[in-house]
Amino acid sequence: MLERSEWYDIARDTNWTPSYVSQEALFPPEMGDPYGIPTEEWETFDEPYKVSYREYVNIQREKDSAAYSVKAALARSKFHDEADEGWACVLKLHYGAVALTEYQACQFQARMSRFGPSPAMRNMSVYGMLDELRHTQLQLFFPHELVHRDRQYDWAHEAQHSKNWAVLGGRHAMDDIMMTRDAITSSVMVSFAFETALTNLQMIGLSTDAANLGDHTFANLITSIQSDEARHAQLGTPTIEIMIRNGRKKEAQQAMDIALWRVWRLFSITVGIPMDYYIPLEQRHMSFKEFMHEWVINQWERQVQDLGLERPWYWDIFLLDIDNHHHCQQGGIWSWRPTVWWNPPGAVGPKEREWLEEKYPGWNESYGSYWDVITNNLLQGHEEKTHPQCIPIICNMCQIPISHRPGPEWGARAYQREYGERRYNFCTEVCRWIFDTDPERYKDHETIVDRMYSGEIDPPTLENVLKYMGIGVISEGGRDGHDYGWVEGFRAQAAE
Amino acid sequence: MSAFPILSRFQQDAHIKTVEIEPGQTMDEVAAACAFHSIGLHVADKPGRTLRVRPTTEDDSAPPWPRDLTVEKAGIRFYDCIDIYFEEPQ
Ligand SMILES: [Fe+2]
Ligand SMILES: [Fe+2]
Ligand SMILES: [Zn+2]
Repeated sequence: MLERSEWYDIARDTNWTPSYVSQEALFPPEMGDPYGIPTEEWETFDEPYKVSYREYVNIQREKDSAAYSVKAALARSKFHDEADEGWACVLKLHYGAVALTEYQACQFQARMSRFGPSPAMRNMSVYGMLDELRHTQLQLFFPHELVHRDRQYDWAHEAQHSKNWAVLGGRHAMDDIMMTRDAITSSVMVSFAFETALTNLQMIGLSTDAANLGDHTFANLITSIQSDEARHAQLGTPTIEIMIRNGRKKEAQQAMDIALWRVWRLFSITVGIPMDYYIPLEQRHMSFKEFMHEWVINQWERQVQDLGLERPWYWDIFLLDIDNHHHCQQGGIWSWRPTVWWNPPGAVGPKEREWLEEKYPGWNESYGSYWDVITNNLLQGHEEKTHPQCIPIICNMCQIPISHRPGPEWGARAYQREYGERRYNFCTEVCRWIFDTDPERYKDHETIVDRMYSGEIDPPTLENVLKYMGIGVISEGGRDGHDYGWVEGFRAQAAE
Repeated sequence: MSAFPILSRFQQDAHIKTVEIEPGQTMDEVAAACAFHSIGLHVADKPGRTLRVRPTTEDDSAPPWPRDLTVEKAGIRFYDCIDIYFEEPQ
């Protein structure tokens, strides 16, 4: 038999010239390459991770049997009976946010494998498509084991079919970057900005904490997934190189800038909050900020520059967001906990606050002032005062409550835009800039708050809004995951 | 016209909140409506200090509206963002 190196390139790069239909009919630009880059250029596409179909199937089969054998052990294990509810939150949030997003990623890869202008890209993305299908299956199957213990795990499957506010954020971003762009633009957005910068880091960050906690099932599962991501994420780099060589640097840059921000806003909630709040203090291996600086700021930024792109124009806003966004949303999600499908612990007892102040100097003065009010209410037995009776305004791009640093710096600000008949609200200049890149694309979408005033949720009573969001339908909504146990440290302090 | 939502940017709060107000309400009433959703919930009270209302601007420098001015006279519209803040003691 021939060695792979003797046949791989020629097999992979084989292309054809259509004669019954035009090239354009076969590869419509809006699905493939809207930039008009010549076919010969796309034929130079080369990615370093070479694998044959036979090898791929063998490797994946082994990975799957390893992952599923751990799953079989999970059915007998007592781990979830004893696990901290903070960790259960990580899992519920992760599965709800991720499982069917993987299925969207599968469709994105499928688009590249059909409409990608380069034969090598089409070849590689077939594996990517199968990878993402595997990730969907795994992340639906694992939580399914837990549904009989706790209905909130059912959101793994139901979330994407719901109109929960937290899901609208994920869906709006993924529809934007994965589902409704041509193969080339979404390859920059997903393979490079999302998968290279953020997903595989998510896996590294969470798998270390999972192993520390003793959840080897989850650690194994995401390590297995990450090994696929590391391969198919490489689709983005050659795409960007070819775009730059053919005078499309500006477009590649813009696609990267939009996608990094969109995914960042979600990622800091699904990973930042777990790392700095949900995971018990003793098991945290590093802060989210340390992790972002090591993996994204230092490493990914270098990759961006090596490729010939610039770091995004909003870099300073991004750095500021690393210090603030997930802290704000921990406060917001906790305050409006009946609206989510997990039980977020406040997790800001005296020891946790000391840790937060050390990792985020100034935390006590700003975020501490917010939690002081809540803590006092709980200590005085006024639990009812921890439930807001209003709703925060939501960003028309990221769909996340518009918030920023509380306390003396008072950073929250709504960035507005009038367009057509409507007034739009954004959390930052960046979300507003994304809207401005293509207002026609984004103008019709309504946030959950817009829907309360447009008649979509009618009448917008608390009960109706919760039901609209799937709360009490798919499962009960959230409560404090530690039954307010974290305030006891303050009571003890006061008694001393 | 009846109640409509504005964006309440309450001093030192982390979130900008949607609060419903009415055209006939005075600025003092608007401040009280917004305070209800921030003070004692996410922001500590400052007893004895007066709350004032001003339009949100980039540098937080707009003068406050008179306390008895109505929403209608101030020209506040759907989804307008307003600041509610504690007046410095004279
Ligand atoms: Fe995946
Ligand atoms: Fe992926
Ligand atoms: Zn936003």
